[in-house]
Amino acid sequence: MRLITHNMLQCHVKGCNKDNFPLKLEEIEIEELEAEFNADFIKSMLNRLDWKALAQTTFSLGIAQLPEEMPEELNDEMLQQLHHILLEVDITSGRMVCQGCNHVYPIRDGIPNMLLTESEV
Amino acid sequence: MIPYLVYFVQFHEDFRLPELEALSKLENVKIKFNREDYSNDLWTTGNNYPEVYKNLKNFDPEKYKPYETSTFKFMVETYNGTRTMKEQVDIINTFSFLPFKGSIDLKKPDNTFMVLEKYPSPTEQPCKIYMGKLVGVGNRQLVATYDLKKRKYLGTTSMDAELSLIMSNMALVHQNSLVLDPFVGTGSFLITCSHYGAFTLGSDIDGRQIRGKGKTSIKTNVEQYNMKKRVLGTIVSDMAHHPWRNNGELFDAIVTDPPYGVRAGAKKIGLNTDKYDAPPPTKRSVMNPRYPLTVPYEMEQVLMDLIEFASKYLVIGGRLVYWLPTNSEEYNINDIPQHPSLKLIANSEQSFGKWSRRLITMEKIKKYEDIRLTGEGNTGHYQFRQFYFYGKVY
Repeated sequence: MRLITHNMLQCHVKGCNKDNFPLKLEEIEIEELEAEFNADFIKSMLNRLDWKALAQTTFSLGIAQLPEEMPEELNDEMLQQLHHILLEVDITSGRMVCQGCNHVYPIRDGIPNMLLTESEV
Repeated sequence: MIPYLVYFVQFHEDFRLPELEALSKLENVKIKFNREDYSNDLWTTGNNYPEVYKNLKNFDPEKYKPYETSTFKFMVETYNGTRTMKEQVDIINTFSFLPFKGSIDLKKPDNTFMVLEKYPSPTEQPCKIYMGKLVGVGNRQLVATYDLKKRKYLGTTSMDAELSLIMSNMALVHQNSLVLDPFVGTGSFLITCSHYGAFTLGSDIDGRQIRGKGKTSIKTNVEQYNMKKRVLGTIVSDMAHHPWRNNGELFDAIVTDPPYGVRAGAKKIGLNTDKYDAPPPTKRSVMNPRYPLTVPYEMEQVLMDLIEFASKYLVIGGRLVYWLPTNSEEYNINDIPQHPSLKLIANSEQSFGKWSRRLITMEKIKKYEDIRLTGEGNTGHYQFRQFYFYGKVY
């Protein structure tokens, strides 16, 4: 799971609607991928990202220290950095924990399991 | 406007014009077409050859100037009829009056000229002759590139290459689109959409499908086609209770083949209270919890969830492209689910006799509104599964 995907996933346990995003990554293994830099794609994703969550996650993983708010103008260096964060950091195993209800979503073979149990839907 | 003649492959005919319209939107080329006379730079038409010769002879000689010395090739194509090789050569020779002085080159000509004959029936004489210069040919070879027979990881629901490619075009997939398939199965659409430059994501309730069996999985296909840079990944999730962040429009397109409950039994998470008492709530605190209980996911509900999801998560102008099975006898246009945020763009049928599946293309035209879906009766796909297996609806 790449961080672009992580930035789009929230806890969806019935009734859990406080602190359900972003999910906290724990005990993770990271594999670095190499992806072609594509400034247009990164730019087109900017208004779909949740910047605060991205800054918080990358900081807690020790990957990057992004400004708290999305800068109005992004220079090439910044776009390169975002490219690396979003597309080249691949989480191969670990878990995501909801900060609201403590639900745990495991990640195995790079695939997060977002299924709830029948009593949580 | 310059007239062109587009000659389509005679297969999946109902999909060709909607796809042409989608392509013209994608490439920003304005087209108008006449359904009677369905890519050639069309020079002239006639009801018979003498008419065609006469028209060509009446052209301003300037028209031929650019082609006088270039190498060329001449082809004869037929629609609804056939010509032997000898007949084709004879026809070509009748055009020798054209002032082309360049040499003939069958392999890499500078220009290719073409005659297309249209026959009312295979036993009659052609009723219409089209003559022009060939400007382009379709990407038919892609169908072979993505042929399922060559694909390493397949399932019962893998979509054939040609229809997958058409779906990608219907969805206006282009460089850097972000595309989701929420019923990803073995990942057919991830491959074809990524072929056209999209970044793709897939989800499925069945993690076993995603991970595959033994050595093959969606990942194997992604590697086979060298798409790792474009296929972002897959998640295991239930469309009825999905985890996508709900404060934004995320996707440029949603391309999917929802489970009909025929080849792949549709499931969602839930408890069948007729059969079981509710088990004590389990918290997922261990890494490999038991698989949650599931209940059948009725097609009606699948569709409602899909339409609702698309109207919320697509960007404005984004498209939802999906298959809808219908019972041919009872089908009517009201069977297509509607939503005020989504406009129906195309509805192409692939018929299997008593039942059909329809490729539905919808475009998001305005911001999401939380309303109940309209769509009256739903007779054409109502209890489709029963119809498919038992031939009637109980």
